[in-house]
This record gives sequence, C-alpha cells and structure tokens, in this order.
Amino acid sequence: MSRFRRARKNKQLMAGVVIGAFVLLLAIFGPVIFGDYAKQDLLNGHKPLGTPGNFFGTDALGRDLAARATFGIRISLFVAISVTALAVVIGTAIGMIAGYVKGKLDGAISFVVDFIWGFPLILVAVLAAASLGSGLLPVILAVALVNTVAIARVVRGEVLAISEKEFIVAAKAGGYSVTRILTRHVIPNVIPVALVLSSYYIAVAIIAEAALSFVGLGAQPPLPSLGQMVSDGRNYMRINVWESTIPGVIIFLMVLSVSLIGDGLRDLLDPRLRTAVERTSAK
Amino acid sequence: MIAIVRRVVLTLILLFASSLAVFAAIRLSGGDVTAARLPASATAADRQLFLQQVGLDQPILQQYWTYLGQMFRGNLGNSLTNNADIASLAVDKMRNSLILGAAALVLVFAIGIPLGLLAALKRNTWMDTGITSFSVAGMAIPNFWLALILIYIFAIQLQVLPAAGQGGWKYLVLPSVVLAAEGVALTVRMTRSAVLDTLGNDFVRTLRAAGLSNRRIYLKHVLRNSLLPIVSLAGLRVGQIVGYALVVEVIFGWPGVGQTLVNAVLRRDYPVVQFFSLVLVVVVTLGNLAASIGYTLVNPRLRK
Repeated sequence: MSRFRRARKNKQLMAGVVIGAFVLLLAIFGPVIFGDYAKQDLLNGHKPLGTPGNFFGTDALGRDLAARATFGIRISLFVAISVTALAVVIGTAIGMIAGYVKGKLDGAISFVVDFIWGFPLILVAVLAAASLGSGLLPVILAVALVNTVAIARVVRGEVLAISEKEFIVAAKAGGYSVTRILTRHVIPNVIPVALVLSSYYIAVAIIAEAALSFVGLGAQPPLPSLGQMVSDGRNYMRINVWESTIPGVIIFLMVLSVSLIGDGLRDLLDPRLRTAVERTSAK
Repeated sequence: MIAIVRRVVLTLILLFASSLAVFAAIRLSGGDVTAARLPASATAADRQLFLQQVGLDQPILQQYWTYLGQMFRGNLGNSLTNNADIASLAVDKMRNSLILGAAALVLVFAIGIPLGLLAALKRNTWMDTGITSFSVAGMAIPNFWLALILIYIFAIQLQVLPAAGQGGWKYLVLPSVVLAAEGVALTVRMTRSAVLDTLGNDFVRTLRAAGLSNRRIYLKHVLRNSLLPIVSLAGLRVGQIVGYALVVEVIFGWPGVGQTLVNAVLRRDYPVVQFFSLVLVVVVTLGNLAASIGYTLVNPRLRK
C-alpha cells in the first residue's frame, strides 16, 4: 500500500488533520469575520452566547470573544512554530554531533544538556521573564531552550544506536568522509524521529505559552493570548462562563490536533519510537 | 556501580552550576529591590543604605561568594521583603508542597496503572476505546483550564469542595487531581502498551498451557513484568509534577514552594527566589537521576 493510502487509513492522523484544519480556518478567517479584537464597548460587557452583533459574547471590557480568541490562535501558532523550528533544527544538530562524535565533545554537550534538563520548563520561563521582562520573546527563548535540550537528548540516543549498526561501520570501513556518512546515512534515519518529536513539541510549546500567559508572563495586553483570556475569564465564571471556556476549548483542540498527528505519524513511520517519545515527554 | 557514582558526582556539579545560573539570572533583571520593603517616601539615600546593609552594592561575584559561604554554614538568609527567616519559611512551604505532590503522585499510579491494564486486557472493545480517548484528552487539556472547569463544577455549581485555600482534606482534592491529570493520562498509555508488549511473549502462552487462571497470569506475571519500566521512571513524573505545581499552586492559592517562588520573582526578593528555585532544581535533578538509575537497574541490557 502506498504511503499516502496508509496515511488516509490512519484514524488518529486523519482526526488530527481534520481538527487542525478547523483550527487553522478559524485562525485565518476568524479575525476577518469577527472584526477588531481590541474594540472596547464598556457598556456591553459580559454578554452571553448568542448576543446579536457579538454571537459568541463579549468579555469584561465588551470586546468580542470570538475576535479575540481567533486572533489568539495566530499568536499561539506563531510562538509554537517559531519555538519548534528553533528547537528541532538546533536540537537535532546538537544531538547528532554528540551522538556521532562521542568522546569529550559528547561529554561536554551532555553536561550542558543535563544541566538545563534539571530546570522545570515553567521555572526557566519565570527566570527568563524575570531577567528579560514579560512578553513573547522570553517565552519563546525559554521554551525553545528547554525543547532543544529535550530533542537533543532523544536524537543523541538514536544516533548512538544507529552508529553501531553494520551499515555505518561498513561506510566507515569504505573510507567515506564524516560529512557524507552523516548526510547520506545518519540524517535519513533521524528524520522520522525528528518529525514525530516536532509534533509533540509543538503541543508542549502551545501549552507552555498558554500557561505562561495565564500567569501573566506571556503576551502583554492589548494582544489577546488564549492563556490570558482564560485567566481574565476566571474572575467572571459566575457571570459568564464562556469568557474562559471559549479560549480553553480552542487550546484543547489545538493540542489535541497536534498530539493526534504525532501519534499517527509515529505509528506510520516507526512504531518503535513509542517508548523513546514517552520516556522524554515528561515535562 | 562506577557509572552510578559518576552520575552522582556529576549531579552534584550540576546543582552547583544551577545555583550560579539562578543567582545571575535573577540579578540581571535590575528591577527595584527596595520597592517592596521600603515605603514610597524613602529617599535615594535611604534606598542606597538599605542595599548596602543587605550587601547588594557589592560586585556580583563577591555576592555569590558570600551567599555560598553563608549557605554552607546553614544560614539561608532572610527575605528582602518582610525579613522572614528563609529556613523556617522553607520548612513550612516545603511541607505543603510535599503533601500536594505526594497526593498527586499516588493518584497518578493508583488510577493510571489499573486503567491501563484494563484497556490492554479488553483491547479493541468499547472499554479500551473509552479509556484510550480519555487519556488522549487528558494529555491535551491544559491543566490551568481543567482547574477552572473543576472549580466551576465542584465549588461554584455543586458547592461540595472549596475553590482555593488550605485546610482539611477537602482543600487537597481539586489541586491534586489537576496536578495528577497529565501523569495519569501518560501512565495509562505506558501501562497499556507495556502490557500489550508483555502479552505477546512466549512465557504467557506457556503459563496458559500450564493451566494457570487468567487472573493469576495477568496480575502476577504480566503486570509485574510490565510495571518495572513504568515504576522505575517514577522520577520523571516527579519532575513533571514539580513543574506544573508552580501554576496549580497559584490557581488554588496553595501556600507551597511554587506560589512563594512566583510571588518572590514578582517582588524581586532575591534570597527567596534563589533558595526556592534551587529546591525545585534539586527535586527535578534527583528525580531524573533516580529515573536513570532505576531504568538501568531494571534493564540489564543497559548495564555496561
């Protein structure tokens, strides 16, 4: 069966793709349909679901919830994609060098990696926010740092295992250069791991950004961040429960979509990855 | 054995480096330390005098040296904001966090393992689908939003549990459930796939042929073989719980290490930030160390 047909048959992957497409459509068209996310109308606050003009209701300042939430998806995706791009590229490179070169260089890299691995993600972000000020930049840097390290750990392990295999030993004996062995023989075997890991770490990045904005360290007002909307809404749960529920549902759908895609890809590309991923996803 | 000793020594060096990193990071910010302690009417000279008294006018390396020296003598210093003795503050907050963390860890294994086993034994039935979907959802739901949902249902609508604060066991229920949620979901998945792996082994067929009851095969042989890797990785769950505790303690107003740390960062209370971050790093690093040793011990193949 072709790859494409196998992909179509994978239920998790397809469910993830459908949910993801829905969220993407919201991000693209939502702000166009629902209007300005920053427009206040103080006399029109806490409107419930189904209000004419603001179908999904309004927040404490009378701003349209749907406009804010759909714009929040854009911010969330921007952070998640930039974090993951940084982390996957740098993490894979570092992990590959450490795993292939071994020796003192590996020792030094592993020390730094273990050092950063000892910090809980949220603590790194809190410290980054303390030294750089609140905003999206410290969040991106902190999450990228921790995810880079997490990816480097897994890739290093994979490369260590691959480099003992016969085909690498044969390539070495054949006198090929290190660059050629890495690009032709090691990298193609690491790509599936990197692909599966990147979908997991997109999920981690989305949750981390939302959690940090929830405690007030991420995106600063008037930018609408989903985590911050949940936090704003929590004070008004008795008045209008949708103010925290709409952004909450959207975060849930985004994370659900990328984790389903990750699970699907893993089954499709390499079922053996299951344990490798689960061992490291503890963050 | 040598490998384990090496790891322990390496861990100590790591912790030392962490203390330096935290020390430098919090000082880089340059926020006003005096704002939380001195009244708004204090003059620039007053503020300078205060910095001098607490030693913050020294060069940063000098400060670090003094800090290390004091710490090794067992003197953790005092909070900059209210002059509270950090050692006694720490005992109190750490006990609270320990109660919360331990409750969450118990929930993770007490709920996760039985559900995972059940899903594996009834695989491809509605029960398996239900449990698996529950665990996929459990991993995707952001814990701070789960906290709000539970508060809405149990504290606002049903009014059976308190929304925040600390008191009897009722105050522990919601925060520990929220803290445990992702760990439960992950444990269900790991148990399910580990049990399925074990069921495929030849010895299971042999035991069946020998006439053992299913119950005995599953509980005594299969579960035991599947659990070793999961329990040996408990250290990683500890690290996860510690990280999330920061957010969960803030939401539920649980007076633990996480809440103290977040408040101290906001007020630029350096000594408190230094000590409490270090506590978190020590716990996570020890958790990682325990997981790596535990995993090596139960996997003879990984021993060199």
